[in-house]
Amino acid sequence: MENPPLRPSTYQVLEQHGVDRRSFIKFCTAMAAALGLDATMVPQIVEALENKPRIPVIWLHGLECTCCSESFIRSSHPIAQDIILNMISLDYDDTLQAAAGFQVEDIRKRIMKEYPGEYLLAVEGNAPTKDGGVYCTVGGETFLSILEETAEKAKAIIAWGSCASNGCVQAAKPNPTGAKPIHALLPHKTIINVPGCPPIAEVMTGVLTYILTFGQLPELDRIGRPKMFYGQRLHDKCYRRPFFDAGQFVEAWDDEGARKGWCLYKMGCRGPSTYNSCSTFKWNNGVSWPIGSGHGCIGCAENNFWDNGPFYQRLSGIPVPGIDSTPDEVGATLAGAAVIGVGAHFVSSVVRRFGQKPAQPTPDSGDKGRGDV
Amino acid sequence: MATAIREFDPKDMAQHPDSYFRREYVWELPVRISHWVNAACLIVLFLTGIYISHPILAPSGEAYKNFVMGRVRQIHFISAMVFMVSFLVRVYWFWMGNNYSRSGFPFVWRPSWWRDLFRQATDYLKLERGHVHLGHNSLGGLVYTLFVVALGWAQMFTGFALYSETNPSGFFGRVFGWVLPFLGGSFQARMWHHTFAWGFVVFAILHVYVILYDSTQYGNGLITSIISGYKFYKRGDLKHDRWVS
Amino acid sequence: MTTRVVVDPVTRIEGHLRIEAMLDDRNVIHDAISSGTMWRGLEVILQGRDPRDAWAFAERICGVCTTVHALASVRSVENALGIQVPPNADIIRNIMFLTQMVQDHVIHFYHLHALDWVDVVSALKADPAATAALAQKVSPSWPYASTGYFRDIAGTLKKFADSGQLGIFQNAYWGHPAYKLPAEANLMAVAHYLEALKWQKEIVKIHTIFGGKNPHPNYIVGGMASAISMQGDNAINMERLNYVRGLIQDATNIVENLYIPDLLAVASFYPEWTQIGGGLGSYMVYGDIPQNGIGDPSRFRFPRGVVLHKNLSEVLPLDLADSGQITEEVAHSWYEYPEGKKALHPWDGVTQARYNGPKPPYKQLDENGGYSWLKSPRWKGNAVEVGPLARMLVGYASGNTEFKDVVGEALGALKLPATALFSTLGRTAARGLETRLAVRWLMQEYEHLITNLKAGDSATADTSRWDPSTWPAEAKGFGFTEAPRGALGHWLHIKDQKIANYQIVVPSTWNASPKDGQGQRGAYEAALLDTPMADPKRPVEILRTIHSFDPCLACASHVLGPDGRKLSEVIIR
Repeated sequence: MENPPLRPSTYQVLEQHGVDRRSFIKFCTAMAAALGLDATMVPQIVEALENKPRIPVIWLHGLECTCCSESFIRSSHPIAQDIILNMISLDYDDTLQAAAGFQVEDIRKRIMKEYPGEYLLAVEGNAPTKDGGVYCTVGGETFLSILEETAEKAKAIIAWGSCASNGCVQAAKPNPTGAKPIHALLPHKTIINVPGCPPIAEVMTGVLTYILTFGQLPELDRIGRPKMFYGQRLHDKCYRRPFFDAGQFVEAWDDEGARKGWCLYKMGCRGPSTYNSCSTFKWNNGVSWPIGSGHGCIGCAENNFWDNGPFYQRLSGIPVPGIDSTPDEVGATLAGAAVIGVGAHFVSSVVRRFGQKPAQPTPDSGDKGRGDV
Repeated sequence: MATAIREFDPKDMAQHPDSYFRREYVWELPVRISHWVNAACLIVLFLTGIYISHPILAPSGEAYKNFVMGRVRQIHFISAMVFMVSFLVRVYWFWMGNNYSRSGFPFVWRPSWWRDLFRQATDYLKLERGHVHLGHNSLGGLVYTLFVVALGWAQMFTGFALYSETNPSGFFGRVFGWVLPFLGGSFQARMWHHTFAWGFVVFAILHVYVILYDSTQYGNGLITSIISGYKFYKRGDLKHDRWVS
Repeated sequence: MTTRVVVDPVTRIEGHLRIEAMLDDRNVIHDAISSGTMWRGLEVILQGRDPRDAWAFAERICGVCTTVHALASVRSVENALGIQVPPNADIIRNIMFLTQMVQDHVIHFYHLHALDWVDVVSALKADPAATAALAQKVSPSWPYASTGYFRDIAGTLKKFADSGQLGIFQNAYWGHPAYKLPAEANLMAVAHYLEALKWQKEIVKIHTIFGGKNPHPNYIVGGMASAISMQGDNAINMERLNYVRGLIQDATNIVENLYIPDLLAVASFYPEWTQIGGGLGSYMVYGDIPQNGIGDPSRFRFPRGVVLHKNLSEVLPLDLADSGQITEEVAHSWYEYPEGKKALHPWDGVTQARYNGPKPPYKQLDENGGYSWLKSPRWKGNAVEVGPLARMLVGYASGNTEFKDVVGEALGALKLPATALFSTLGRTAARGLETRLAVRWLMQEYEHLITNLKAGDSATADTSRWDPSTWPAEAKGFGFTEAPRGALGHWLHIKDQKIANYQIVVPSTWNASPKDGQGQRGAYEAALLDTPMADPKRPVEILRTIHSFDPCLACASHVLGPDGRKLSEVIIR
């Protein structure tokens, strides 16, 4: 191109969407307040938003099912179009990219070279580590090597979905490909984990736009999840919670309780152990969510949720490898063993005592003086 | 049964001092209170805990009229708080009380501890009296360490971590919240908590039996000691003027 | 001299696919290999699990064609355990199935396939007024066709292009001689790309209503979890049903007034693509959308059968349980069979991963050795194509008037003979025609549900065999569906209440499979033959044909480890 590339800034984009300068300044002021900044900082924010180009995003796909991308484009606010055209520069994404083959790989390399430390890396899926990574290759290279290479100069890394955050289904036992979540592969990087299979669309776009709007990463919890969306369990904000507290449960599919929308706890609902925004945002622009449609939560945003099955029981096998029984079965067996042991001891001590009866009269035994003190 | 109660004879006692029991104040009041509070709490905790995982009552009527599950959970949580306080009192008394309150400490690095452990185990198996500790013997101490102290801590950590889930940014969340990711998530923490609970049942069976057996076989007044504080001993039995067995 | 064109990654698909095409000196493809370059081992992971959980694992095979694996999975368990789901459950499943088909096909056309035919950069030169005139001519009933609307779109596009940050549109094949649409048609298509992107998130709400979320809605063995209570506010009721009805109406509008007119308009500019990309000429359909339970294929809306060698006068019968019919081979796959075994029915399948491809990073694969994580499924030894074209042709050949009407109408509009269907464009068109049927059927299924409810039947689940203690010690079953991309089958073996073996043969495995022992190519490979390429460095022709199949590689690449057999060590040479 003849002219140097002109990148539209956030302001230009807003302007194009009919936002006047007055509203724009107001927006910047509100943002400064939200960030806890002094009013003197407003001009700097205005400046930044007026002139900053859209942030380049490289969206990698490893071992995954593309449900995260599908969820992303289901976002209702903002809509995917707005993000792709106005907020970020989605420079690399196998699923939506017009180009294919080496042209795509060239783009990735160019972005890494031209925007070191400035591009966002979004990872959907994870990498197989077994057998030199042959279980997932792109352009003849292993996904693992591509991930490591691309992560090196990334400004921030977002791990989309349970595959990238937790390992998800391919990492379930026996994990035949040695699939590992991103944080295990990039131990020295700060990674924003956005778990879920898939994550809620508006959670994905919410995380992304938070980073773009505030220029900083969201506050993360102990395992790298944004607190704003993964701070609480579904259970604590579930609209069926009154039935839980009352003790009114669905006992079988399509029973009276199911038709009345009672609590799905006894159908194995993982709401009490799952951190996500399902019970508040719900899915697909708030239309419904798994519990709202009568099926318990399967805990898809939780670490290792596939191995916490069967999904329709409250308890899975006890968390000790090699034992495939519920805690109650194991506990009752141990208690039974204790009773048997104790019983055997008791019987033998009784037998001993009665057996020794004739030999008792010796006054030398410890029995002497019993009751004397 | 075989022993006839005889007239007390001071001369005989002077001649055969080993045959006569003496009395010693072993369990101080905080130990005894803590014991019974723990026992009560554990029974309530276990029963309510099992109910929470397998709720069976199905109240009828509108939800607002009922609070069955909520009440059971409330009782569970209150018992947990009481248990924690009682447990911590006992931990405090470990340092502040008499030597008996420290007895049974697992000195796994001392051969004498292992010898006592072995002796006590064989005594039980051979159905012999051997000698008696006025405090806890090594075997008893080991069982209490594993089934009460370790399990108690484990249940408090997992339990309060699960309790904190309703308010992750609150006090319990800050203190115990790390346990959840440490154990691989909330579900796994719940599984451990549930599994551990059975440990108390196993303990209760062993504990009650051994107490009954000890008391009968050794004549040391073990059962009443946790009410009155006094245990009985004869010469050759061990008083705990130091911790080690 | 042979030029080797490597396209890896093939983009705008699901999963990881590599195509290597061999060109002669006239730049015509004379040989091609299709390689799935990912494997996740879902079937190995499924072993030993509760069969009632299997749907959730299987569903995660693919998030693009979400639901289809869940559906095939619950059907396989129900088949094994002899569960007959209530009619309402079948209807709700049909509604969800059709919703998926409509959404998937529209997304495929606009977001995964259109950019092979539409030059986005050329759209910058379009005149908004002329575009509006064109749009009104192409689809008189579509409301967004004013000059102002297109001026806005053109403005957005210009601003975007001027930014120099072209995002997903950069480095593509714009200006390639194979792009033939006038600038106005390109602008219209770009506008509709954005319209469809907005709409696709609406139609899936049907899944959300019945299944709780999308992607990956919930199913249960024995029916559906969404109970119906017309007298309550906490289950499927009139409000929910009205929501569904409205979404079906919107979908009908999009398909009839946006998708189909655009499809026909684009197709009319590419008549040469009715001669290219035909491929195998043999087609297979399992059939779906039961009207009388899944056990009665004669009452499926999508009829079952096989058409061989373009012979539309005969539809051959098909049996999924017959071990002589559906088999899988591994001649060019990175798996091995025991000595003396060449082709195995999924119930008897034996597979061990054995990677003997080049050590990454590599430049090219060996077409004479193993070159794919996909196996080669065959029907009675024949390589067959599955998918929308297969469904339309089998429906057509079965003499079903619904199929004959939509096909005839489209061919009439384009003034093409029926043989034009055996092509890349035919495949793309068949997908659209099928979507027309799908939206009609959606409304019919909805009405059917209402009829049942009026008759007082609101059951959604049969739980008589929910408890594993009611199951036999051993059971075998199969479940199937017609996924958007074609015939999908799950074969399952339950032993002692656990999954002993689970095997999945998916549409993209049929289509993207490598050569078999007889040297028969898979559908992709066959369809690429004789395709002339204008510029081998910019392989838009390869993308057109490959995308016409709508590849789904996460689905396709799989392996099974029966009887808990461990995977063998991978040998890298």
